[in-house]
Amino acid sequence: MIGAGIKRGTAELAILSVLEEGPLHGYEMARRIEEQTKGALHFTLAALYPMLYRMEQRGWIRGAWETSPSGRRKRCYRLTPAGKKKLSPLRKEWAELFGALKRLTKVAHA
Amino acid sequence: MRDWEALVEGHLGGLALEPGDSADVIAEIAAHLEESYEALIKENVPEQVAFRRALSQVTNWRDLQRRIFIAKRSAHRMQKRVNQLWIPGFLALILSMVFLMMLQKFGFRPRIVKSGPDAILFYVPWLLSLPLFGALGAYLSSRAGGSRGTALLVSVFPVLALTAAFLLMFPIGLIIERATGNHMDFSFVAVALLRDGIGWLLVPGVALLAGGLLVQLLFSRRSTSQVAAIG
Repeated sequence: MIGAGIKRGTAELAILSVLEEGPLHGYEMARRIEEQTKGALHFTLAALYPMLYRMEQRGWIRGAWETSPSGRRKRCYRLTPAGKKKLSPLRKEWAELFGALKRLTKVAHA
Repeated sequence: MRDWEALVEGHLGGLALEPGDSADVIAEIAAHLEESYEALIKENVPEQVAFRRALSQVTNWRDLQRRIFIAKRSAHRMQKRVNQLWIPGFLALILSMVFLMMLQKFGFRPRIVKSGPDAILFYVPWLLSLPLFGALGAYLSSRAGGSRGTALLVSVFPVLALTAAFLLMFPIGLIIERATGNHMDFSFVAVALLRDGIGWLLVPGVALLAGGLLVQLLFSRRSTSQVAAIG
Protein backbone atom coordinates (compact mmCIF):
# COMPACT_ATOMS: atom_id res chain seq x y z
CA MET A 1 0.00 0.00 0.00
CA ILE A 2 1.31 3.47 -0.92
CA GLY A 3 1.92 5.66 2.14
CA ALA A 4 0.18 9.00 2.63
CA GLY A 5 3.46 10.93 2.29
CA ILE A 6 4.24 9.37 -1.10
CA LYS A 7 0.68 9.92 -2.30
CA ARG A 8 0.78 13.57 -1.27
CA GLY A 9 4.20 14.02 -2.88
CA THR A 10 3.05 12.61 -6.22
CA ALA A 11 -0.11 14.69 -6.10
CA GLU A 12 1.85 17.88 -5.46
CA LEU A 13 4.25 17.06 -8.29
CA ALA A 14 1.34 16.32 -10.64
CA ILE A 15 -0.43 19.62 -9.82
CA LEU A 16 2.71 21.73 -10.10
CA SER A 17 3.61 20.01 -13.40
CA VAL A 18 0.25 20.64 -15.09
CA LEU A 19 0.19 24.22 -13.86
CA GLU A 20 3.62 24.77 -15.37
CA GLU A 21 1.87 24.53 -18.77
CA GLY A 22 -0.49 27.39 -17.85
CA PRO A 23 -3.30 28.44 -15.48
CA LEU A 24 -6.09 25.92 -14.93
CA HIS A 25 -9.19 25.56 -12.79
CA GLY A 26 -9.75 22.54 -10.54
CA TYR A 27 -11.91 20.42 -12.85
CA GLU A 28 -9.64 20.95 -15.87
CA MET A 29 -6.58 20.24 -13.75
CA ALA A 30 -7.97 16.87 -12.61
CA ARG A 31 -8.98 16.03 -16.19
CA ARG A 32 -5.55 16.90 -17.60
CA ILE A 33 -3.70 14.90 -14.96
CA GLU A 34 -5.85 11.85 -15.66
CA GLU A 35 -5.44 12.27 -19.40
CA GLN A 36 -1.68 12.84 -19.35
CA THR A 37 -1.04 9.91 -17.00
CA LYS A 38 -3.43 7.70 -19.03
CA GLY A 39 -5.62 7.22 -15.99
CA ALA A 40 -2.80 6.15 -13.66
CA LEU A 41 -3.41 9.24 -11.52
CA HIS A 42 -7.01 10.06 -10.80
CA PHE A 43 -8.04 12.98 -8.62
CA THR A 44 -11.47 13.03 -7.08
CA LEU A 45 -12.91 16.35 -6.01
CA ALA A 46 -12.48 15.34 -2.35
CA ALA A 47 -8.77 14.73 -2.85
CA LEU A 48 -8.08 17.67 -5.12
CA TYR A 49 -9.37 20.72 -3.26
CA PRO A 50 -7.82 20.20 0.18
CA MET A 51 -4.54 19.67 -1.69
CA LEU A 52 -4.98 22.85 -3.77
CA TYR A 53 -5.83 24.91 -0.68
CA ARG A 54 -2.82 23.56 1.19
CA MET A 55 -0.52 24.36 -1.73
CA GLU A 56 -2.07 27.81 -2.01
CA GLN A 57 -1.45 28.50 1.67
CA ARG A 58 2.17 27.44 1.19
CA GLY A 59 2.43 30.01 -1.57
CA TRP A 60 3.22 27.52 -4.37
CA ILE A 61 0.07 28.33 -6.37
CA ARG A 62 -2.35 31.25 -6.44
CA GLY A 63 -6.04 31.04 -7.23
CA ALA A 64 -8.18 33.85 -8.66
CA TRP A 65 -11.73 34.01 -9.97
CA GLU A 66 -12.03 34.47 -13.71
CA THR A 67 -15.03 34.57 -16.03
CA SER A 68 -14.90 32.23 -19.00
CA PRO A 69 -16.20 33.30 -22.47
CA SER A 70 -19.40 31.36 -21.68
CA GLY A 71 -19.91 33.67 -18.67
CA ARG A 72 -19.18 30.99 -16.08
CA ARG A 73 -17.00 31.96 -13.11
CA LYS A 74 -14.06 29.67 -12.46
CA ARG A 75 -11.27 29.84 -9.96
CA CYS A 76 -8.05 29.50 -11.95
CA TYR A 77 -4.78 28.51 -10.34
CA ARG A 78 -1.35 29.71 -11.42
CA LEU A 79 2.10 28.67 -10.42
CA THR A 80 3.83 31.29 -8.25
CA PRO A 81 7.59 31.95 -8.36
CA ALA A 82 7.84 29.87 -5.14
CA GLY A 83 5.95 27.04 -6.85
CA LYS A 84 8.26 27.16 -9.85
CA LYS A 85 11.22 27.03 -7.51
CA LYS A 86 9.72 24.03 -5.70
CA LEU A 87 9.04 22.07 -8.89
CA SER A 88 12.61 21.48 -9.97
CA PRO A 89 13.94 19.83 -6.75
CA LEU A 90 10.67 17.90 -6.42
CA ARG A 91 11.11 16.46 -9.91
CA LYS A 92 14.71 15.53 -9.12
CA GLU A 93 13.68 13.83 -5.86
CA TRP A 94 11.02 11.73 -7.56
CA ALA A 95 13.28 10.87 -10.50
CA GLU A 96 15.87 9.63 -8.01
CA LEU A 97 13.27 7.62 -6.11
CA PHE A 98 11.86 5.98 -9.23
CA GLY A 99 15.38 5.36 -10.57
CA ALA A 100 16.31 3.67 -7.33
CA LEU A 101 13.15 1.53 -7.35
CA LYS A 102 13.76 0.56 -10.97
CA ARG A 103 17.32 -0.51 -10.19
CA LEU A 104 16.12 -2.42 -7.15
CA THR A 105 13.42 -4.33 -9.02
CA LYS A 106 15.85 -5.19 -11.84
CA VAL A 107 18.39 -6.55 -9.33
CA ALA A 108 15.60 -8.53 -7.66
CA HIS A 109 14.62 -10.09 -10.99
CA ALA A 110 18.21 -10.90 -12.06
CA MET B 1 -31.79 23.43 -13.55
CA ARG B 2 -29.97 22.23 -10.47
CA ASP B 3 -28.73 24.66 -7.85
CA TRP B 4 -25.28 23.19 -7.23
CA GLU B 5 -24.23 25.91 -4.82
CA ALA B 6 -27.25 25.29 -2.58
CA LEU B 7 -26.49 21.57 -2.68
CA VAL B 8 -22.84 22.08 -1.67
CA GLU B 9 -23.81 24.66 0.94
CA GLY B 10 -26.14 22.08 2.46
CA HIS B 11 -23.15 19.80 2.96
CA LEU B 12 -20.40 22.33 3.72
CA GLY B 13 -22.50 24.96 5.50
CA GLY B 14 -20.63 24.31 8.75
CA LEU B 15 -17.26 25.25 7.29
CA ALA B 16 -15.90 27.59 9.96
CA LEU B 17 -13.83 29.92 7.79
CA GLU B 18 -14.16 33.66 7.17
CA PRO B 19 -17.55 34.20 5.43
CA GLY B 20 -15.91 35.20 2.12
CA ASP B 21 -13.60 32.19 2.21
CA SER B 22 -16.46 29.75 2.86
CA ALA B 23 -18.49 31.22 0.00
CA ASP B 24 -15.50 30.87 -2.35
CA VAL B 25 -14.98 27.22 -1.38
CA ILE B 26 -18.67 26.43 -1.86
CA ALA B 27 -18.81 28.18 -5.24
CA GLU B 28 -15.64 26.46 -6.44
CA ILE B 29 -16.76 22.96 -5.45
CA ALA B 30 -20.22 23.56 -6.87
CA ALA B 31 -18.64 24.64 -10.19
CA HIS B 32 -16.54 21.46 -10.22
CA LEU B 33 -19.58 19.24 -9.62
CA GLU B 34 -21.55 21.07 -12.29
CA GLU B 35 -18.77 20.61 -14.84
CA SER B 36 -18.47 16.91 -14.01
CA TYR B 37 -22.23 16.53 -14.44
CA GLU B 38 -22.27 18.40 -17.76
CA ALA B 39 -19.37 16.34 -19.10
CA LEU B 40 -21.32 13.16 -18.30
CA ILE B 41 -24.46 14.56 -19.95
CA LYS B 42 -22.40 15.27 -23.10
CA GLU B 43 -21.41 11.57 -23.06
CA ASN B 44 -25.14 10.77 -23.19
CA VAL B 45 -25.26 9.49 -19.63
CA PRO B 46 -28.86 9.74 -18.32
CA GLU B 47 -29.45 12.78 -16.14
CA GLN B 48 -30.06 10.96 -12.86
CA VAL B 49 -27.05 8.69 -13.36
CA ALA B 50 -24.88 11.71 -14.25
CA PHE B 51 -26.05 13.48 -11.12
CA ARG B 52 -25.26 10.48 -8.92
CA ARG B 53 -21.88 9.95 -10.55
CA ALA B 54 -20.92 13.60 -10.17
CA LEU B 55 -21.87 13.51 -6.50
CA SER B 56 -20.08 10.21 -5.93
CA GLN B 57 -16.78 12.14 -6.07
CA VAL B 58 -17.42 13.02 -2.45
CA THR B 59 -18.23 9.99 -0.34
CA ASN B 60 -17.84 11.76 3.01
CA TRP B 61 -18.76 15.45 3.09
CA ARG B 62 -17.94 15.82 6.74
CA ASP B 63 -14.41 14.53 6.12
CA LEU B 64 -14.02 16.88 3.14
CA GLN B 65 -15.16 19.81 5.29
CA ARG B 66 -12.65 18.88 7.98
CA ARG B 67 -9.78 18.54 5.49
CA ILE B 68 -10.58 21.86 3.80
CA PHE B 69 -10.77 23.54 7.20
CA ILE B 70 -7.37 22.15 8.24
CA ALA B 71 -5.77 23.08 4.89
CA LYS B 72 -7.09 26.64 5.01
CA ARG B 73 -6.80 27.32 8.71
CA SER B 74 -3.14 26.56 9.46
CA ALA B 75 -1.60 29.41 7.50
CA HIS B 76 -4.63 31.62 8.07
CA ARG B 77 -4.21 31.44 11.83
CA MET B 78 -0.52 32.16 11.62
CA GLN B 79 -1.13 35.18 9.39
CA LYS B 80 -3.84 36.45 11.73
CA ARG B 81 -1.54 36.14 14.73
CA VAL B 82 1.16 38.10 12.92
CA ASN B 83 -1.24 40.87 11.87
CA GLN B 84 -3.21 41.08 15.10
CA LEU B 85 -0.51 40.50 17.70
CA TRP B 86 3.12 40.54 16.62
CA ILE B 87 3.23 43.48 14.20
CA PRO B 88 1.23 45.94 16.36
CA GLY B 89 2.93 44.67 19.53
CA PHE B 90 6.45 45.11 18.25
CA LEU B 91 5.55 48.46 16.70
CA ALA B 92 4.30 49.74 20.07
CA LEU B 93 7.45 48.38 21.75
CA ILE B 94 9.86 49.89 19.22
CA LEU B 95 8.16 53.29 19.14
CA SER B 96 7.99 53.56 22.93
CA MET B 97 11.66 52.56 23.30
CA VAL B 98 12.80 54.93 20.55
CA PHE B 99 10.89 57.76 22.23
CA LEU B 100 12.50 56.96 25.58
CA MET B 101 15.97 56.88 24.00
CA MET B 102 15.30 60.24 22.36
CA LEU B 103 14.26 61.76 25.69
CA GLN B 104 17.44 60.47 27.30
CA LYS B 105 19.54 61.72 24.39
CA PHE B 106 18.03 65.20 24.61
CA GLY B 107 18.86 65.32 28.29
CA PHE B 108 15.47 64.83 29.92
CA ARG B 109 16.12 63.92 33.52
CA PRO B 110 13.94 61.35 35.27
CA ARG B 111 11.84 62.43 38.22
CA ILE B 112 13.17 60.72 41.32
CA VAL B 113 10.74 59.56 43.96
CA LYS B 114 12.39 58.76 47.30
CA SER B 115 16.11 59.17 47.75
CA GLY B 116 19.02 56.86 48.27
CA PRO B 117 19.25 53.28 47.00
CA ASP B 118 15.46 52.79 47.03
CA ALA B 119 14.92 55.69 44.59
CA ILE B 120 12.31 55.07 41.90
CA LEU B 121 12.85 56.81 38.56
CA PHE B 122 9.98 58.12 36.46
CA TYR B 123 10.46 59.57 32.99
CA VAL B 124 7.33 61.70 33.09
CA PRO B 125 7.22 62.69 29.36
CA TRP B 126 7.73 59.00 28.46
CA LEU B 127 4.95 57.91 30.83
CA LEU B 128 2.66 60.52 29.31
CA SER B 129 3.40 59.22 25.81
CA LEU B 130 2.67 55.60 26.68
CA PRO B 131 -1.16 55.78 26.46
CA LEU B 132 -0.63 56.94 22.88
CA PHE B 133 1.59 53.94 22.03
CA GLY B 134 -0.76 51.56 23.85
CA ALA B 135 -3.68 53.04 21.92
CA LEU B 136 -1.80 52.74 18.62
CA GLY B 137 -1.05 49.05 19.23
CA ALA B 138 -4.63 48.33 20.27
CA TYR B 139 -6.00 50.24 17.26
CA LEU B 140 -3.83 48.35 14.76
CA SER B 141 -4.74 45.04 16.37
CA SER B 142 -8.47 45.84 16.36
CA ARG B 143 -8.29 47.05 12.76
CA ALA B 144 -6.67 43.71 11.79
CA GLY B 145 -9.67 41.95 13.37
CA GLY B 146 -8.07 41.21 16.76
CA SER B 147 -10.36 40.41 19.67
CA ARG B 148 -10.71 42.76 22.64
CA GLY B 149 -8.32 40.58 24.66
CA THR B 150 -5.72 40.55 21.89
CA ALA B 151 -5.93 44.32 21.46
CA LEU B 152 -5.40 44.87 25.20
CA LEU B 153 -2.52 42.39 25.19
CA VAL B 154 -0.96 44.35 22.33
CA SER B 155 -1.39 47.64 24.19
CA VAL B 156 0.70 46.34 27.13
CA PHE B 157 3.13 44.47 24.86
CA PRO B 158 6.08 46.86 25.56
CA VAL B 159 5.77 46.16 29.28
CA LEU B 160 5.49 42.40 28.71
CA ALA B 161 8.74 42.50 26.74
CA LEU B 162 10.39 44.49 29.53
CA THR B 163 9.06 42.01 32.12
CA ALA B 164 10.63 39.17 30.15
CA ALA B 165 13.91 41.09 30.12
CA PHE B 166 13.66 41.69 33.89
CA LEU B 167 12.96 38.02 34.55
CA LEU B 168 15.98 37.07 32.51
CA MET B 169 18.12 39.08 34.92
CA PHE B 170 17.75 36.31 37.55
CA PRO B 171 19.41 33.47 35.63
CA ILE B 172 21.93 35.86 34.08
CA GLY B 173 22.76 37.19 37.55
CA LEU B 174 23.27 33.65 38.82
CA ILE B 175 25.59 32.83 35.90
CA ILE B 176 27.63 35.99 36.52
CA GLU B 177 27.77 35.18 40.22
CA ARG B 178 29.11 31.69 39.49
CA ALA B 179 31.59 32.98 36.90
CA THR B 180 33.00 35.79 39.02
CA GLY B 181 32.76 34.02 42.34
CA ASN B 182 31.09 37.10 43.88
CA HIS B 183 28.24 36.39 46.18
CA MET B 184 25.24 38.62 45.49
CA ASP B 185 22.79 39.34 48.23
CA PHE B 186 19.41 38.03 47.03
CA SER B 187 17.47 40.51 49.12
CA PHE B 188 19.31 43.34 47.35
CA VAL B 189 18.34 41.84 43.96
CA ALA B 190 14.72 41.43 45.08
CA VAL B 191 14.50 45.04 46.29
CA ALA B 192 16.06 46.28 43.05
CA LEU B 193 13.58 44.25 41.00
CA LEU B 194 10.64 45.52 43.04
CA ARG B 195 11.83 49.13 42.84
CA ASP B 196 12.53 48.99 39.09
CA GLY B 197 9.36 46.97 38.58
CA ILE B 198 7.29 49.90 39.80
CA GLY B 199 9.08 52.52 37.67
CA TRP B 200 9.55 50.44 34.53
CA LEU B 201 6.71 47.92 34.55
CA LEU B 202 3.78 48.71 36.79
CA VAL B 203 3.25 52.42 36.11
CA PRO B 204 4.10 52.17 32.36
CA GLY B 205 1.82 49.14 32.16
CA VAL B 206 -1.09 51.12 33.59
CA ALA B 207 -0.37 54.00 31.18
CA LEU B 208 -0.25 51.65 28.16
CA LEU B 209 -3.40 49.84 29.25
CA ALA B 210 -5.22 53.16 29.62
CA GLY B 211 -4.54 53.86 25.94
CA GLY B 212 -5.66 50.36 24.96
CA LEU B 213 -8.86 50.65 26.98
CA LEU B 214 -9.64 54.02 25.42
CA VAL B 215 -9.36 52.53 21.92
CA GLN B 216 -11.53 49.61 22.97
CA LEU B 217 -14.14 52.01 24.28
CA LEU B 218 -14.12 53.98 21.02
CA PHE B 219 -14.29 50.79 18.91
CA SER B 220 -17.18 49.35 20.94
CA ARG B 221 -19.08 52.67 20.68
CA ARG B 222 -18.52 52.79 16.93
CA SER B 223 -19.68 49.20 16.41
CA THR B 224 -22.72 49.85 18.62
CA SER B 225 -23.67 52.89 16.50
CA GLN B 226 -23.15 50.83 13.31
CA VAL B 227 -25.43 48.10 14.61
CA ALA B 228 -28.01 50.75 15.52
CA ALA B 229 -27.73 52.26 12.01
CA ILE B 230 -28.23 48.83 10.37
CA GLY B 231 -31.09 47.96 12.71
